[in-house]
Amino acid sequence: MEQLINELKEKIIETLDLIDVTPEDVKEDDPLVGGKLGIDSIDILELAMMIDKEYGIKIDNKELGQKVFSTLRTLAEHIQKNRQG
Amino acid sequence: MLLKGDRVFITGMGIVSSLGSGEQEHYDSLKKNRSGIKPLSLFPLSEGNRHPAGEITGFEWDRSVPRTHGLALAAALQALAGRSIIPDAVIIGTTTGGMALTEELLKKGEKRPDCYRYHSTSSVAEYCAGALSCPGLVITVTTACSSGSAAVKLALELLRTGKAGCVLAGGADSLCRLTYYGFNSLQLIDPEGSRPLDRTRRGMSVAEGSAMVLIEASASVPEGAVAEVLGGGLSCDAHHPATPHPEGAGALAAMGRAIEDAGIAATAIDYINLHGTGTRDNDLAEAKAIRSLFGEPVPPLSSIKGATGHSLAAAGAIEAVICSMGIRDGFIPGNTGCREPDPDLKVSPVLETTDKKISTVLSNSFGFGGNNACLVLGDPLAPRTSPAVKAPAFFEIMAGACVTGAGDLAQTIASLREGKNCGGTLPLADISKNLPAREVRRLKRLPRLALALALDARNAAAQDPASIYFATAWGPLSETYDFLTKLYESDEQFTSPTDFVGSVHNAPAGQIAIWLKATGANITVTGGDYSFEQSLFAASLAAEGGEILLVMGADEHHGDLSPLFDGSVRAATVPADGGGALVLKKTGNPAGPCIAPLFFENYATSPGAIASLIRALGGPDSINSTYAAVFAGMPGGEKASCRKQLDEFLAETGFTGPVIDYRALLGEFGTVTAAAAAVAAHFTKEGTVPAALASGNALHLREKRLLMVGLGSFVTAAEITA
Repeated sequence: MEQLINELKEKIIETLDLIDVTPEDVKEDDPLVGGKLGIDSIDILELAMMIDKEYGIKIDNKELGQKVFSTLRTLAEHIQKNRQG
Repeated sequence: MLLKGDRVFITGMGIVSSLGSGEQEHYDSLKKNRSGIKPLSLFPLSEGNRHPAGEITGFEWDRSVPRTHGLALAAALQALAGRSIIPDAVIIGTTTGGMALTEELLKKGEKRPDCYRYHSTSSVAEYCAGALSCPGLVITVTTACSSGSAAVKLALELLRTGKAGCVLAGGADSLCRLTYYGFNSLQLIDPEGSRPLDRTRRGMSVAEGSAMVLIEASASVPEGAVAEVLGGGLSCDAHHPATPHPEGAGALAAMGRAIEDAGIAATAIDYINLHGTGTRDNDLAEAKAIRSLFGEPVPPLSSIKGATGHSLAAAGAIEAVICSMGIRDGFIPGNTGCREPDPDLKVSPVLETTDKKISTVLSNSFGFGGNNACLVLGDPLAPRTSPAVKAPAFFEIMAGACVTGAGDLAQTIASLREGKNCGGTLPLADISKNLPAREVRRLKRLPRLALALALDARNAAAQDPASIYFATAWGPLSETYDFLTKLYESDEQFTSPTDFVGSVHNAPAGQIAIWLKATGANITVTGGDYSFEQSLFAASLAAEGGEILLVMGADEHHGDLSPLFDGSVRAATVPADGGGALVLKKTGNPAGPCIAPLFFENYATSPGAIASLIRALGGPDSINSTYAAVFAGMPGGEKASCRKQLDEFLAETGFTGPVIDYRALLGEFGTVTAAAAAVAAHFTKEGTVPAALASGNALHLREKRLLMVGLGSFVTAAEITA
């Protein structure tokens, strides 16, 4: 799980081109959207596309997206669960 | 600028959508509550992405042009209904232009530029103008999903000025991968097909179509008048690139302005045709705005997008036609697809097409970039007072800005004084030097150019513009290219929602509005090499008296796409891009230099355009006594014919002042005219054209003006007065 979280931090920064953000700045339990990272709804859709591409997991509706992209931890948990399942 | 006080009537209509072709097929479909939304067959879809769309099956057109062009012409010919009338102007909204064809060409790696000659959004209106032999003004409106309604609003204003008696206006868009996969990547597509206002709605259905209206100005009701165009309202959310303001603030402003422009009370509206896309956010925001404007009771309302799908730039025009039919024939179209209205909306649509006399209709269109346009249409036979005649107004230039290969306005002027060529492409870091890095992280070259220009001009003027008129010949090429590249690289599985939102031609103007909190009109026009001239005309039509506005143009150079699309880029020795911006004040009493659009003719349909220009400027004597110098825009791809036109102009007028070939100095790109206007405005304020540009001797303007002439496929003129 820790490994996945660290991997996601790197991928989020890269995907969203968060130029002045380091992996340490992304906290597992902080809200992903609207926090100090400056991530918004379009970024979330960009991340959904990345998750589909990298992990083969579709997060293709807003209701599911709101739950899964709540925090970095909820995202990692969702990926972990659906990968194994 | 209302000069004649004539009323404005729709006297011809054409319509093609997933419901069929022509008025009768649309009425029959609506009456049966039939939807045209079905599985898409126009191009193969990748696994897992197969959503229904509003495709027009069996549509035949001249395959030498892209499908959008075919749709636009089909609707235009219907609107003319065999009459031999030639419109004085053509104003068409489109967002995709030739994209459906371009996508296929890029996919197979086609490198021959000639194959892309109909790529440009501007080519749709130009193709129709050519087919209808229209000699005059052509404007291409690209405000995403409000384009069709915005085009009708501009046509209304043009007719009100008395400068045109008859205008063809409307919108057209064909389905293509960019919009299909783009909206899908935003998770805005309802897998079951669009069900506007339904409790379980999940989004829109992307569609295609076209509608055109022939609109005529007349003091009395002309024969064959279907509806009267009573008013139009424009606004911008200035909130988000792709999501409506949650309270519908922009929608409310546009509706309010349309009703005010129509000179009626809100209580006179007896039907509202909703934008009603079927996305959760749109329908909710629109319902809130309507409740806040109308209170109780809300007029009968419905969305036809569950029947037609959402045909983007065509939607507003299609709905204007359906509303006009409703006014003439006495019906309210049903809200196809909605089974159980969403109680959260607190408005309930007319579910089935219902016979009812309606005499005043509000039609809503909202788009990406927060671009909103609403129209009020009425029964032509209802008693009305003629609109009031307004006094003429001027565009006072408060400040200007430009970006060229040499840098900003000050750097460009300094280079020009030294006789240096300014054409080139600035590094992205230089363009972005005054933009906060984190906030522009998602913006590529064109939106950064546009933002830098807008902020420079705003700061120089120390005035916040309320409305924005943005010109771009080619739109955001980087975003478009990156979107398609990602799509193709992944076998049409993945793409970037960020690039899709950014690829829309009006995205830069939407960004500017958010930054400047500019909630007035927000119009993007895309008229190829004449884009800036078109934005100046659009501004002169739609700006309110006393208003501060930003009129600007920008284009980016893209290494792969620019040479494919633009013949002038191919003819140029160095790649160039940039743009210009002017902060203007619309006023009756200007205190400084002013800019005015004067002339716009289509050289293809009006070979006597140079003689016509000379007449429009008052003849040779007037030209020689009025103008000190000519700034000539001669696109490199049409150099020989431009030269010939210029020679004719000089021979006929005997003009001996300096002629400044500004493309040779500032670079070959579509909206270089905007940069030239900023430079010319700067010289006018200083009162001098520097020696390096005036055959070796500084030219003192005294009271004389600068004439900006555009040559090539179109002949245009604007002047900058001291």
